[in-house]
Amino acid sequence: MELYKRYVDVILYQKRNGDIVPLYVCWENGKRYRIDKVLSSERRASQVGGCGMRYACMIQGKRRNLFLEKNKWFIESYQP
Amino acid sequence: MGRDRIIFHIDINHCYAQIEEMKYPALREVPMAVGGHEETRHGIILAKNDIAKKSGILTGESLREAREKCPDLLIIPPSYDDYIYYTGEVKKIYRRYSDHVESFGLDEAWIDYTDSEKLFGDPEALVSRIRQEVKREIGLDVSAGLSWNKVFAKLGSDRKKKDGPFVITRDNYRETVWPLPAADLLYVGPATTRKLLARGIHTIGDLAVYPRRFLKKAMGIPGEMISLFANGGDTSPVAESFVHPPVKSVGNSMTMVHDVDNLNDLRPVYYVLCEAVASRMRDHGMEGNVVSISLRSAGLDWYGCEKKIEQYTDVSGTILHTVMELVVSLYDFEKPLRAVGVSVSGLRPFSGIHQLSLFRNEEALEAARKTDLVMDEIREKYGYYSVQRACTAVDPELTSFNVKEEHTVHPTGYFQGRKMTP
Repeated sequence: MELYKRYVDVILYQKRNGDIVPLYVCWENGKRYRIDKVLSSERRASQVGGCGMRYACMIQGKRRNLFLEKNKWFIESYQP
Repeated sequence: MGRDRIIFHIDINHCYAQIEEMKYPALREVPMAVGGHEETRHGIILAKNDIAKKSGILTGESLREAREKCPDLLIIPPSYDDYIYYTGEVKKIYRRYSDHVESFGLDEAWIDYTDSEKLFGDPEALVSRIRQEVKREIGLDVSAGLSWNKVFAKLGSDRKKKDGPFVITRDNYRETVWPLPAADLLYVGPATTRKLLARGIHTIGDLAVYPRRFLKKAMGIPGEMISLFANGGDTSPVAESFVHPPVKSVGNSMTMVHDVDNLNDLRPVYYVLCEAVASRMRDHGMEGNVVSISLRSAGLDWYGCEKKIEQYTDVSGTILHTVMELVVSLYDFEKPLRAVGVSVSGLRPFSGIHQLSLFRNEEALEAARKTDLVMDEIREKYGYYSVQRACTAVDPELTSFNVKEEHTVHPTGYFQGRKMTP
Protein backbone atom coordinates (compact mmCIF):
# COMPACT_ATOMS: atom_id res chain seq x y z
CA MET A 1 0.00 0.00 0.00
CA GLU A 2 1.19 3.47 -0.80
CA LEU A 3 2.30 5.74 1.97
CA TYR A 4 1.77 9.49 2.12
CA LYS A 5 3.52 12.24 4.01
CA ARG A 6 1.04 14.02 6.28
CA TYR A 7 2.02 16.84 8.54
CA VAL A 8 0.10 16.57 11.78
CA ASP A 9 -0.41 18.33 15.09
CA VAL A 10 1.12 16.45 17.98
CA ILE A 11 0.57 16.69 21.69
CA LEU A 12 3.73 15.78 23.49
CA TYR A 13 5.34 15.56 26.85
CA GLN A 14 8.84 16.87 27.31
CA LYS A 15 10.89 15.53 30.16
CA ARG A 16 13.20 17.70 32.18
CA ASN A 17 16.22 15.97 30.59
CA GLY A 18 15.01 17.16 27.17
CA ASP A 19 13.57 13.85 25.97
CA ILE A 20 10.35 14.13 24.01
CA VAL A 21 7.48 11.68 24.31
CA PRO A 22 4.69 12.14 21.74
CA LEU A 23 1.30 11.42 23.34
CA TYR A 24 -1.39 12.15 20.75
CA VAL A 25 -1.53 12.64 17.00
CA CYS A 26 -4.24 15.10 15.99
CA TRP A 27 -5.94 14.70 12.60
CA GLU A 28 -7.29 17.65 10.63
CA ASN A 29 -10.90 16.64 11.29
CA GLY A 30 -10.27 17.17 14.96
CA LYS A 31 -9.90 13.51 15.75
CA ARG A 32 -7.23 12.65 18.24
CA TYR A 33 -5.35 9.36 18.32
CA ARG A 34 -3.59 8.23 21.44
CA ILE A 35 -0.07 6.84 21.06
CA ASP A 36 -0.12 3.71 23.16
CA LYS A 37 3.60 3.06 23.06
CA VAL A 38 6.76 4.45 21.51
CA LEU A 39 8.71 1.42 20.35
CA SER A 40 11.89 3.20 19.34
CA SER A 41 13.23 6.63 18.57
CA GLU A 42 16.18 7.10 16.25
CA ARG A 43 17.37 9.30 13.43
CA ARG A 44 16.05 7.98 10.13
CA ALA A 45 15.22 9.01 6.59
CA SER A 46 11.59 8.51 5.66
CA GLN A 47 10.43 6.65 2.56
CA VAL A 48 7.85 9.39 1.94
CA GLY A 49 10.55 12.05 1.86
CA GLY A 50 12.35 14.02 4.52
CA CYS A 51 14.30 12.82 7.51
CA GLY A 52 14.58 13.45 11.20
CA MET A 53 13.90 11.78 14.52
CA ARG A 54 11.67 8.78 13.89
CA TYR A 55 9.34 7.67 16.65
CA ALA A 56 7.98 4.22 15.89
CA CYS A 57 4.57 4.31 17.59
CA MET A 58 1.80 1.87 18.37
CA ILE A 59 -1.55 3.54 17.65
CA GLN A 60 -4.70 1.47 18.08
CA GLY A 61 -2.76 -1.74 17.69
CA LYS A 62 -0.99 -0.62 14.50
CA ARG A 63 2.58 0.48 14.03
CA ARG A 64 3.02 3.97 12.56
CA ASN A 65 6.15 6.01 12.01
CA LEU A 66 6.00 9.54 13.34
CA PHE A 67 8.82 11.90 12.34
CA LEU A 68 10.08 15.10 13.87
CA GLU A 69 11.49 16.88 10.82
CA LYS A 70 13.41 19.99 11.93
CA ASN A 71 10.54 21.51 13.98
CA LYS A 72 7.51 19.91 12.33
CA TRP A 73 5.87 16.54 12.79
CA PHE A 74 4.70 14.26 10.02
CA ILE A 75 3.34 10.75 9.90
CA GLU A 76 3.78 8.09 7.23
CA SER A 77 0.09 7.73 6.54
CA TYR A 78 -1.95 5.26 4.55
CA GLN A 79 -4.52 7.97 3.91
CA PRO A 80 -3.63 10.64 1.36
CA MET B 1 59.20 9.53 8.50
CA GLY B 2 56.24 8.97 10.78
CA ARG B 3 53.20 6.89 10.16
CA ASP B 4 51.09 7.87 7.16
CA ARG B 5 47.89 9.71 7.88
CA ILE B 6 44.50 8.20 7.09
CA ILE B 7 42.35 10.79 5.38
CA PHE B 8 38.84 10.41 4.01
CA HIS B 9 37.24 12.79 1.61
CA ILE B 10 33.48 12.38 1.53
CA ASP B 11 31.30 14.06 -1.04
CA ILE B 12 27.51 14.21 -1.15
CA ASN B 13 26.72 13.22 -4.75
CA HIS B 14 25.05 16.00 -6.76
CA CYS B 15 24.19 17.47 -3.41
CA TYR B 16 21.39 19.99 -4.01
CA ALA B 17 19.51 17.69 -6.38
CA GLN B 18 19.83 14.77 -4.01
CA ILE B 19 18.53 16.77 -1.06
CA GLU B 20 15.49 17.80 -3.12
CA GLU B 21 14.95 14.15 -4.03
CA MET B 22 15.25 13.15 -0.41
CA LYS B 23 12.59 15.73 0.51
CA TYR B 24 10.32 14.81 -2.40
CA PRO B 25 11.04 11.23 -3.56
CA ALA B 26 8.77 11.63 -6.62
CA LEU B 27 11.48 13.85 -8.12
CA ARG B 28 13.60 10.74 -8.63
CA GLU B 29 11.24 9.69 -11.42
CA VAL B 30 11.59 12.82 -13.58
CA PRO B 31 14.48 14.78 -15.09
CA MET B 32 15.11 17.45 -12.47
CA ALA B 33 17.68 20.11 -11.80
CA VAL B 34 18.20 22.75 -9.17
CA GLY B 35 18.79 26.09 -10.83
CA GLY B 36 19.06 29.73 -9.87
CA HIS B 37 16.23 32.18 -10.34
CA GLU B 38 15.83 33.03 -13.98
CA GLU B 39 14.29 36.44 -13.47
CA THR B 40 17.27 37.69 -11.46
CA ARG B 41 19.52 35.92 -13.93
CA HIS B 42 21.32 33.69 -11.54
CA GLY B 43 19.99 31.31 -14.12
CA ILE B 44 22.38 28.40 -14.18
CA ILE B 45 22.05 24.72 -13.36
CA LEU B 46 23.48 24.15 -9.89
CA ALA B 47 22.87 20.41 -9.68
CA LYS B 48 20.95 17.77 -11.59
CA ASN B 49 19.63 14.30 -10.91
CA ASP B 50 20.67 11.13 -12.73
CA ILE B 51 17.85 11.23 -15.29
CA ALA B 52 18.69 14.82 -16.21
CA LYS B 53 22.35 13.85 -16.43
CA LYS B 54 21.46 11.21 -19.02
CA SER B 55 19.89 13.95 -21.18
CA GLY B 56 23.26 15.66 -21.18
CA ILE B 57 22.43 18.43 -18.74
CA LEU B 58 25.62 19.98 -17.37
CA THR B 59 26.16 21.75 -14.09
CA GLY B 60 26.91 25.40 -14.75
CA GLU B 61 25.07 25.76 -18.06
CA SER B 62 22.24 28.25 -18.43
CA LEU B 63 18.65 27.22 -17.79
CA ARG B 64 17.85 28.03 -21.41
CA GLU B 65 20.53 25.68 -22.74
CA ALA B 66 19.34 22.99 -20.38
CA ARG B 67 15.71 23.33 -21.55
CA GLU B 68 16.81 23.04 -25.16
CA LYS B 69 18.43 19.70 -24.38
CA CYS B 70 15.58 18.44 -22.27
CA PRO B 71 12.26 20.30 -22.75
CA ASP B 72 10.46 18.59 -19.86
CA LEU B 73 13.26 19.28 -17.40
CA LEU B 74 11.85 20.27 -14.05
CA ILE B 75 13.83 23.15 -12.60
CA ILE B 76 13.57 23.76 -8.90
CA PRO B 77 14.80 26.99 -7.28
CA PRO B 78 17.42 26.34 -4.62
CA SER B 79 16.45 26.32 -0.96
CA TYR B 80 19.78 27.06 0.64
CA ASP B 81 18.49 26.93 4.21
CA ASP B 82 17.65 23.27 3.70
CA TYR B 83 20.99 22.54 2.05
CA ILE B 84 22.86 24.13 4.92
CA TYR B 85 20.74 22.24 7.45
CA TYR B 86 20.95 18.78 5.89
CA THR B 87 24.63 18.97 4.97
CA GLY B 88 25.24 20.08 8.57
CA GLU B 89 23.40 16.97 9.78
CA VAL B 90 25.58 14.82 7.52
CA LYS B 91 28.71 16.37 8.96
CA LYS B 92 27.48 15.64 12.47
CA ILE B 93 27.67 11.97 11.48
CA TYR B 94 31.27 12.42 10.33
CA ARG B 95 32.11 14.03 13.66
CA ARG B 96 31.09 10.91 15.52
CA TYR B 97 34.37 9.42 14.35
CA SER B 98 36.87 12.27 14.35
CA ASP B 99 37.30 15.75 15.70
CA HIS B 100 39.16 16.72 12.55
CA VAL B 101 36.38 17.32 10.03
CA GLU B 102 37.10 20.09 7.56
CA SER B 103 34.33 21.30 5.28
CA PHE B 104 35.13 22.15 1.69
CA GLY B 105 31.98 23.84 0.54
CA LEU B 106 28.64 22.51 1.70
CA ASP B 107 28.83 19.05 0.21
CA GLU B 108 32.40 17.96 0.76
CA ALA B 109 34.53 17.32 3.79
CA TRP B 110 37.86 15.85 4.75
CA ILE B 111 38.09 13.68 7.81
CA ASP B 112 41.40 12.87 9.46
CA TYR B 113 40.91 9.38 10.86
CA THR B 114 44.53 8.75 11.88
CA ASP B 115 44.01 9.16 15.62
CA SER B 116 40.60 7.47 15.67
CA GLU B 117 41.71 4.23 14.06
CA LYS B 118 42.36 2.54 17.41
CA LEU B 119 38.84 3.44 18.53
CA PHE B 120 36.81 2.47 15.48
CA GLY B 121 39.00 0.02 13.58
CA ASP B 122 39.58 -0.61 9.92
CA PRO B 123 39.26 2.62 7.88
CA GLU B 124 37.58 1.03 4.87
CA ALA B 125 34.98 -0.63 7.04
CA LEU B 126 34.39 2.64 8.83
CA VAL B 127 33.84 4.52 5.58
CA SER B 128 31.23 1.93 4.63
CA ARG B 129 29.63 2.43 8.01
CA ILE B 130 29.55 6.20 7.59
CA ARG B 131 27.97 5.80 4.16
CA GLN B 132 25.32 3.49 5.57
CA GLU B 133 24.59 5.81 8.46
CA VAL B 134 24.20 8.82 6.17
CA LYS B 135 21.89 6.80 3.92
CA ARG B 136 19.82 5.46 6.79
CA GLU B 137 19.58 8.64 8.84
CA ILE B 138 19.55 11.42 6.27
CA GLY B 139 18.64 9.46 3.16
CA LEU B 140 21.57 10.69 1.09
CA ASP B 141 24.21 8.85 -0.93
CA VAL B 142 27.81 9.87 -0.42
CA SER B 143 30.97 8.77 -2.15
CA ALA B 144 34.31 8.57 -0.45
CA GLY B 145 38.00 8.52 -1.15
CA LEU B 146 40.69 7.32 1.20
CA SER B 147 44.34 8.22 1.02
CA TRP B 148 47.28 9.50 3.00
CA ASN B 149 46.83 13.09 1.85
CA LYS B 150 43.90 15.39 1.23
CA VAL B 151 44.48 15.91 -2.47
CA PHE B 152 44.45 12.20 -3.33
CA ALA B 153 41.55 11.53 -0.98
CA LYS B 154 39.53 14.08 -2.94
CA LEU B 155 40.54 12.49 -6.22
CA GLY B 156 39.34 9.19 -4.80
CA SER B 157 35.89 10.46 -3.93
CA ASP B 158 35.55 12.03 -7.39
CA ARG B 159 35.84 8.51 -8.85
CA LYS B 160 32.47 7.77 -7.21
CA LYS B 161 32.80 4.11 -6.45
CA LYS B 162 29.40 2.62 -5.66
CA ASP B 163 30.41 0.63 -2.60
CA GLY B 164 33.15 1.44 -0.16
CA PRO B 165 35.81 4.09 -0.57
CA PHE B 166 38.15 4.45 -3.50
CA VAL B 167 41.49 3.79 -1.88
CA ILE B 168 44.66 5.45 -3.10
CA THR B 169 47.80 4.13 -1.45
CA ARG B 170 51.50 4.73 -1.88
CA ASP B 171 51.58 1.43 -3.77
CA ASN B 172 48.81 2.09 -6.25
CA TYR B 173 48.80 5.83 -6.87
CA ARG B 174 50.97 5.56 -9.96
CA GLU B 175 48.38 3.28 -11.56
CA THR B 176 45.24 4.98 -10.25
CA VAL B 177 46.06 8.67 -10.10
CA TRP B 178 48.69 9.26 -12.71
CA PRO B 179 46.61 8.33 -15.79
CA LEU B 180 43.93 10.91 -14.82
CA PRO B 181 43.81 14.25 -16.64
CA ALA B 182 45.77 16.96 -14.87
CA ALA B 183 42.61 19.08 -14.68
CA ASP B 184 41.18 16.64 -12.10
CA LEU B 185 43.80 17.72 -9.59
CA LEU B 186 42.80 20.22 -6.93
CA TYR B 187 43.91 23.73 -7.86
CA VAL B 188 44.34 22.96 -11.54
CA GLY B 189 41.70 25.16 -13.16
CA PRO B 190 41.13 25.93 -16.84
CA ALA B 191 43.92 28.54 -17.01
CA THR B 192 46.47 26.24 -15.38
CA THR B 193 45.34 23.37 -17.60
CA ARG B 194 46.08 25.50 -20.67
CA LYS B 195 49.52 26.36 -19.35
CA LEU B 196 50.22 22.70 -18.66
CA LEU B 197 49.00 21.57 -22.07
CA ALA B 198 51.36 24.07 -23.66
CA ARG B 199 54.15 22.12 -21.99
CA GLY B 200 52.77 18.78 -23.12
CA ILE B 201 51.45 17.92 -19.69
CA HIS B 202 48.17 16.08 -20.08
CA THR B 203 47.91 13.73 -17.14
CA ILE B 204 48.71 13.96 -13.47
CA GLY B 205 51.53 11.52 -14.17
CA ASP B 206 53.03 13.91 -16.73
CA LEU B 207 52.82 16.63 -14.13
CA ALA B 208 54.42 14.50 -11.46
CA VAL B 209 57.52 13.69 -13.49
CA TYR B 210 57.91 17.12 -15.07
CA PRO B 211 60.92 18.87 -13.52
CA ARG B 212 59.56 20.89 -10.65
CA ARG B 213 61.99 23.77 -11.07
CA PHE B 214 60.69 24.42 -14.59
CA LEU B 215 57.13 24.54 -13.33
CA LYS B 216 58.16 26.88 -10.57
CA LYS B 217 59.93 29.12 -13.01
CA ALA B 218 56.95 29.21 -15.36
CA MET B 219 54.11 29.41 -12.88
CA GLY B 220 55.64 30.41 -9.58
CA ILE B 221 54.73 28.83 -6.23
CA PRO B 222 51.44 27.36 -7.53
CA GLY B 223 53.42 25.45 -10.15
CA GLU B 224 55.63 23.96 -7.48
CA MET B 225 52.58 23.20 -5.37
CA ILE B 226 50.65 21.24 -8.00
CA SER B 227 53.80 19.29 -8.86
CA LEU B 228 54.00 18.33 -5.22
CA PHE B 229 50.29 17.43 -5.17
CA ALA B 230 50.76 15.16 -8.19
CA ASN B 231 53.43 13.24 -6.29
CA GLY B 232 51.27 12.82 -3.21
CA GLY B 233 53.37 15.30 -1.29
CA ASP B 234 50.50 17.36 0.10
CA THR B 235 51.01 17.70 3.83
CA SER B 236 48.31 20.24 4.69
CA PRO B 237 46.44 19.18 7.81
CA VAL B 238 42.72 18.57 8.12
CA ALA B 239 41.42 21.45 10.20
CA GLU B 240 39.90 20.75 13.56
CA SER B 241 36.15 21.11 13.73
CA PHE B 242 34.86 24.47 14.92
CA VAL B 243 38.23 26.15 14.71
CA HIS B 244 37.87 29.21 12.53
CA PRO B 245 41.00 30.51 10.87
CA PRO B 246 41.49 34.26 10.93
CA VAL B 247 39.91 36.24 8.12
CA LYS B 248 42.34 36.56 5.20
CA SER B 249 40.23 38.53 2.79
CA VAL B 250 36.82 40.12 2.51
CA GLY B 251 35.01 39.95 -0.80
CA ASN B 252 31.67 40.17 -2.52
CA SER B 253 30.56 39.29 -5.98
CA MET B 254 27.31 39.26 -7.87
CA THR B 255 25.60 38.51 -11.15
CA MET B 256 24.02 41.67 -12.50
CA VAL B 257 20.34 41.95 -13.43
CA HIS B 258 21.35 42.76 -16.98
CA ASP B 259 24.66 42.74 -18.82
CA VAL B 260 26.73 45.89 -18.57
CA ASP B 261 28.77 47.13 -21.50
CA ASN B 262 30.32 50.35 -20.27
CA LEU B 263 32.27 51.78 -17.40
CA ASN B 264 29.64 54.32 -16.37
CA ASP B 265 27.04 51.66 -15.68
CA LEU B 266 29.54 49.44 -13.96
CA ARG B 267 30.71 52.07 -11.49
CA PRO B 268 27.53 52.23 -9.36
CA VAL B 269 27.41 48.43 -9.20
CA TYR B 270 30.96 48.37 -7.93
CA TYR B 271 30.16 51.19 -5.53
CA VAL B 272 27.52 49.02 -3.87
CA LEU B 273 29.91 46.05 -3.75
CA CYS B 274 32.75 48.17 -2.34
CA GLU B 275 30.43 49.60 0.29
CA ALA B 276 29.53 46.08 1.37
CA VAL B 277 33.15 44.96 1.45
CA ALA B 278 34.28 48.06 3.37
CA SER B 279 31.43 47.70 5.81
CA ARG B 280 32.24 44.05 6.46
CA MET B 281 35.90 44.93 6.95
CA ARG B 282 34.88 47.47 9.58
CA ASP B 283 32.69 44.81 11.22
CA HIS B 284 35.80 42.63 11.47
CA GLY B 285 37.86 45.61 12.66
CA MET B 286 40.24 45.18 9.72
CA GLU B 287 41.83 47.28 7.05
CA GLY B 288 43.61 46.00 3.96
CA ASN B 289 45.97 47.06 1.21
CA VAL B 290 45.45 44.62 -1.65
CA VAL B 291 42.41 45.08 -3.87
CA SER B 292 41.48 42.40 -6.37
CA ILE B 293 38.67 42.22 -8.86
CA SER B 294 37.06 39.43 -10.83
CA LEU B 295 34.98 39.91 -13.96
CA ARG B 296 32.88 37.43 -15.85
CA SER B 297 31.83 38.31 -19.36
CA ALA B 298 28.59 37.31 -21.06
CA GLY B 299 30.66 34.59 -22.73
CA LEU B 300 31.38 33.29 -19.22
CA ASP B 301 35.13 33.97 -19.45
CA TRP B 302 36.78 34.99 -16.21
CA TYR B 303 39.20 37.84 -15.75
CA GLY B 304 40.92 38.87 -12.59
CA CYS B 305 43.78 40.94 -11.26
CA GLU B 306 44.89 42.65 -8.10
CA LYS B 307 46.80 45.68 -6.98
CA LYS B 308 48.58 46.70 -3.84
CA ILE B 309 47.73 50.19 -2.68
CA GLU B 310 50.06 52.38 -0.72
CA GLN B 311 47.77 52.96 2.22
CA TYR B 312 45.81 50.44 4.28
CA THR B 313 42.14 51.29 4.01
CA ASP B 314 38.60 50.35 4.95
CA VAL B 315 36.98 53.22 3.02
CA SER B 316 34.61 52.25 0.20
CA GLY B 317 35.59 55.23 -1.97
CA THR B 318 39.28 54.34 -1.89
CA ILE B 319 38.56 50.72 -2.72
CA LEU B 320 36.26 51.79 -5.56
CA HIS B 321 38.93 54.08 -6.98
CA THR B 322 41.40 51.20 -7.16
CA VAL B 323 38.76 48.86 -8.53
CA MET B 324 37.92 51.21 -11.40
CA GLU B 325 41.63 51.59 -12.21
CA LEU B 326 41.92 47.82 -12.38
CA VAL B 327 38.82 47.46 -14.55
CA VAL B 328 40.12 50.02 -17.02
CA SER B 329 43.46 48.26 -17.27
CA LEU B 330 41.96 44.78 -17.52
CA TYR B 331 38.81 44.93 -19.59
CA ASP B 332 37.88 46.50 -22.91
CA PHE B 333 34.11 45.77 -22.89
CA GLU B 334 34.32 43.96 -26.19
CA LYS B 335 31.85 41.58 -24.61
CA PRO B 336 29.42 42.89 -22.00
CA LEU B 337 29.97 41.92 -18.38
CA ARG B 338 27.63 39.60 -16.54
CA ALA B 339 29.12 39.20 -13.09
CA VAL B 340 31.60 41.20 -11.08
CA GLY B 341 33.39 40.78 -7.80
CA VAL B 342 35.81 42.60 -5.55
CA SER B 343 37.82 41.51 -2.58
CA VAL B 344 40.32 43.13 -0.26
CA SER B 345 43.17 41.20 1.30
CA GLY B 346 46.44 42.02 3.00
CA LEU B 347 44.34 42.58 6.10
CA ARG B 348 45.55 43.82 9.45
CA PRO B 349 43.69 45.05 12.51
CA PHE B 350 42.48 48.60 12.08
CA SER B 351 45.08 50.89 13.60
CA GLY B 352 43.70 54.38 13.01
CA ILE B 353 47.27 55.48 12.36
CA HIS B 354 48.20 56.46 8.84
CA GLN B 355 51.22 57.92 7.13
CA LEU B 356 50.06 61.30 5.85
CA SER B 357 50.81 62.09 2.25
CA LEU B 358 51.63 65.39 0.65
CA PHE B 359 49.91 64.39 -2.56
CA ARG B 360 46.61 63.16 -1.24
CA ASN B 361 43.70 65.06 0.15
CA GLU B 362 43.74 63.65 3.69
CA GLU B 363 40.74 65.66 4.77
CA ALA B 364 38.61 64.27 1.97
CA LEU B 365 39.69 60.77 2.90
CA GLU B 366 38.74 61.31 6.50
CA ALA B 367 35.39 62.72 5.41
CA ALA B 368 34.78 59.70 3.16
CA ARG B 369 35.43 57.35 6.05
CA LYS B 370 33.06 59.29 8.28
CA THR B 371 30.40 59.13 5.56
CA ASP B 372 30.82 55.36 5.44
CA LEU B 373 30.48 55.10 9.20
CA VAL B 374 27.36 57.26 9.26
CA MET B 375 25.81 55.20 6.46
CA ASP B 376 26.55 52.02 8.41
CA GLU B 377 24.79 53.48 11.43
CA ILE B 378 21.76 54.68 9.51
CA ARG B 379 21.42 51.34 7.76
CA GLU B 380 21.73 49.46 10.99
CA LYS B 381 18.96 51.52 12.54
CA TYR B 382 16.56 52.06 9.64
CA GLY B 383 17.37 49.29 7.19
CA TYR B 384 19.67 48.94 4.23
CA TYR B 385 17.64 50.87 1.68
CA SER B 386 17.08 53.88 3.92
CA VAL B 387 20.21 55.57 2.60
CA GLN B 388 21.81 55.25 -0.83
CA ARG B 389 24.55 56.86 -2.87
CA ALA B 390 23.14 59.20 -5.50
CA CYS B 391 25.00 57.38 -8.26
CA THR B 392 23.00 54.24 -7.59
CA ALA B 393 19.78 56.10 -8.43
CA VAL B 394 20.73 56.25 -12.12
CA ASP B 395 19.83 52.62 -12.71
CA PRO B 396 18.12 51.44 -9.53
CA GLU B 397 17.31 48.07 -11.09
CA LEU B 398 21.02 47.37 -11.44
CA THR B 399 22.05 48.53 -7.99
CA SER B 400 19.14 47.79 -5.69
CA PHE B 401 20.57 44.81 -3.92
CA ASN B 402 21.83 44.45 -0.41
CA VAL B 403 25.08 42.64 -0.97
CA LYS B 404 26.18 42.56 2.59
CA GLU B 405 23.30 40.44 3.76
CA GLU B 406 22.00 38.79 0.61
CA HIS B 407 25.06 38.09 -1.49
CA THR B 408 27.84 37.39 0.94
CA VAL B 409 29.52 34.25 -0.18
CA HIS B 410 31.86 32.42 2.09
CA PRO B 411 34.25 30.64 -0.21
CA THR B 412 36.37 28.03 1.39
CA GLY B 413 40.02 28.34 0.57
CA TYR B 414 41.89 25.08 0.50
CA PHE B 415 44.58 26.29 2.85
CA GLN B 416 42.24 28.20 5.15
CA GLY B 417 44.93 30.63 6.06
CA ARG B 418 47.60 28.02 6.61
CA LYS B 419 50.94 28.24 4.90
CA MET B 420 51.88 25.51 2.47
CA THR B 421 55.40 24.28 3.02
CA PRO B 422 56.74 22.25 0.13
